[in-house]
Amino acid sequence: MQSLSRVRNQFGLLFGLFAMLAAGQVSAHGAVGDHVNDLKGHLDQYTEEVQWLIGKFGGVVDTYEKRGQKAADSDALAGFWEEVDFHLAIETNHVPTYASIWQGIYGIKQAIDKGAPVSAVREEQVELEHTLWQALGAVKLAAQYQEKGLLAEVQTTENEPTTMPATLEDIKHRLDRVVAKYAEKLPEAATTIVHDTYLQRFEGVEGALIEQDAALVEDLEKDFNVTLPQALKRNASVDDVRDVVKAMQVKLDRAKALLVKAEKDRKDVF
Amino acid sequence: MQRRTFVQALAAAGALGGLPFSVGRSLAAAGKSGGAVSVDDLPPLEGDITLYLGRGEGGLYENVLEAIRKRNPKLNLQIRRGSTAALANTIVAEARAGVRRADIFWAVDSGAIGMVSDAGLARQLPADLTGQLKTGFRYPQWAPVTGRIRTLPYNTGRLAPEQIPDSVMALADSDFSIGWAPAYASFQSFVTAMRLLEGDKVTGDWLRGIKARAKSYAGELGVVMGVERGEVDLGFANHYYTLRLKSGKPDASVDLAFSNGDAGCLVNASGILALSEGDLPINFIRYLLTREVQSYLASEAYEIPLVEGVAAPQGLPPLDTISPPKVDLTQLADLRPTLDLMRSVGVL
Repeated sequence: MQSLSRVRNQFGLLFGLFAMLAAGQVSAHGAVGDHVNDLKGHLDQYTEEVQWLIGKFGGVVDTYEKRGQKAADSDALAGFWEEVDFHLAIETNHVPTYASIWQGIYGIKQAIDKGAPVSAVREEQVELEHTLWQALGAVKLAAQYQEKGLLAEVQTTENEPTTMPATLEDIKHRLDRVVAKYAEKLPEAATTIVHDTYLQRFEGVEGALIEQDAALVEDLEKDFNVTLPQALKRNASVDDVRDVVKAMQVKLDRAKALLVKAEKDRKDVF
Repeated sequence: MQRRTFVQALAAAGALGGLPFSVGRSLAAAGKSGGAVSVDDLPPLEGDITLYLGRGEGGLYENVLEAIRKRNPKLNLQIRRGSTAALANTIVAEARAGVRRADIFWAVDSGAIGMVSDAGLARQLPADLTGQLKTGFRYPQWAPVTGRIRTLPYNTGRLAPEQIPDSVMALADSDFSIGWAPAYASFQSFVTAMRLLEGDKVTGDWLRGIKARAKSYAGELGVVMGVERGEVDLGFANHYYTLRLKSGKPDASVDLAFSNGDAGCLVNASGILALSEGDLPINFIRYLLTREVQSYLASEAYEIPLVEGVAAPQGLPPLDTISPPKVDLTQLADLRPTLDLMRSVGVL
C-alpha cells in the first residue's frame, strides 16, 4: 500500500462524495463525515489505515537509519496522521488515546530532529505502533457499543449538559482534549480550552459544590487557574500534563458523587 | 429609572382577559396586593413553546423547567441553551432575518434582556403579572425572575465591619488590599452601573485606584475564597458566593458588607420576556414567579426572590434594608464602553 488514495479507492468515489455531503460536525480537523456514526461499516478501512500509518511511520524511521537526519522527513509524520479517517474515529470516541497518538508522533519527530540514536527512535516507533493498535481496539469496542445503540450519535452541534453530574462529565472530557491539544503541540489551544471550561462549565457547578466540600472547590480552583495553565506554559512533558489532568479528573469524580447525593436530598420545586 | 408607570397605567381586568374567571380573579388579587401566587392557582400549560435559556445556575433552572414539564404533561417545551449574550444576539439576528424560533427568553443577565427589548421584540406583560414583583422591579416588557446583589465580602479576622466605608467609591483611596475578577461578567455589569451613575472619568479614576491595590482572580467565587484565606482584606462579588461558602464551611472567616446607594450594592437580575403572542408564553412566565419557584431558587440557589412575600435566602439581610442605586437594569446591556474604559486604564 503506497498511498492513502489507493486505500480509499476500495471504498469508492461514491462514499467519499456522500461523506462530504453528509458532513455536518466541525472538529479541529475539519468536517466529520458519516463514518464516525457507522464505525462497524468502516472497521476494515480503519484497519487498513492503521497498517498504512505504521508503514509510513516506519518508512521515515528506516530512512533516518539508512540515510540520516536530513533525508528523513520528520514533518511528514503529522501529515500522515491527519490524512486518515481513523484520526476522527478515535478522536470522537477515545480522546485519551488520541492524545497518546499525537504524543507518539511527536516522540518520533523530536527524537529524529535532535539526532537521537536509532535505537531510541525505534523505541518511540514501537510505542506509537502499540498505541495505534490500542486505538483500533478502542474503535472496535466503540463499534460494538454503537451497534447496540449504547453510543450517542456524533452530533452536528454541541449539546449543553443540563445537570451538574453531566456538566462534570463534560469537564472531564474537555480536559482530555486539553491533553490532546497539548500533545498536538498546540499549547495555546489547550490553554483556551482550560479557560473556557472553567468559565463555561466549572463556574456553573462550583457554587453547589462548595456547599458540599469547600476544600475540594479550593483544590479545583487552583488546578484550573494555576496548576494546569502553568504546566501548559512551562513546556511540561505531555505525561506531566496528563498527570495533572488525571488528578483533576479524580477530584471531579469525587465532586460528581457529592453532587449526585446532594441532588437526591434536594427539595422538590412544587 | 423606568419603573412602576406601566403598572399604574394598565387596568388589570383588561390584561387578564385570556384566563378563566377564577384564575383571573386570583391573579388580579395577587397583582393588586403584590403577593406571590401559588402554582395551584395557575392554569395548566398546554401546547408547543420554545424557550431560549441562557446558561445559568448549573442545573437548578433545569430542575425548575423539569418540574414545570411534569406538572403540565400537555406542554411541549423545547429548550435551546447557550450563553445568554449569544442567545440574545441570535434572537435579534433571527428577527432581522424574518424568523422567530423562540417564544420566551430566560436570561441570567438583564443586560441581554435589554438588548432584545431594545430591538422591539418583547411583548408587553399584563399588569397583574408585573404587579407581583417588588417595587422597583416592575418593567412593562420583561419580568425579573430572581436577583443578585453586589457585595463587599471581607475577611472577619482582618477587618471589623465598621472599618469598611459605606461608599464603594471610597475604597479606591483606602489602604485595603482588594480582590477582584475584572474579566468576570458580573463585575463588568457593576462597572457599567458605576459609569452610568458616576460618569466615565470618575469610574476610570476609581479603576486605576483599585488596580493599584488589587489582586486578580478568574471568577468571583475565587475572590470570596481569596478573602476567606486572608490573601486580601475584602473583595467585590455577588452575594451568593459568600452564602454558599459559609453554607459549606460555617466557620469561614468571611462576611458580607454593603455599600449604600451606589454601584457597590447594585441589584441585578435574571429575567424573562415573551417574544410571541398568545397566553402560553405569559402563563409560562407566571410559573417562574410563583411562590414555589421563587422559594426554591432562594433556598437552593441563594438567589433573591423578586416577588413580594417570599423570604430572602438565609444569611442575607432583607432587600428593603439595602439601598441599591437606581439604575435601569436593561441599560447594562451596552458593555462596549465599559470594556473600552477598562482596557484604556489597563485593567483588562
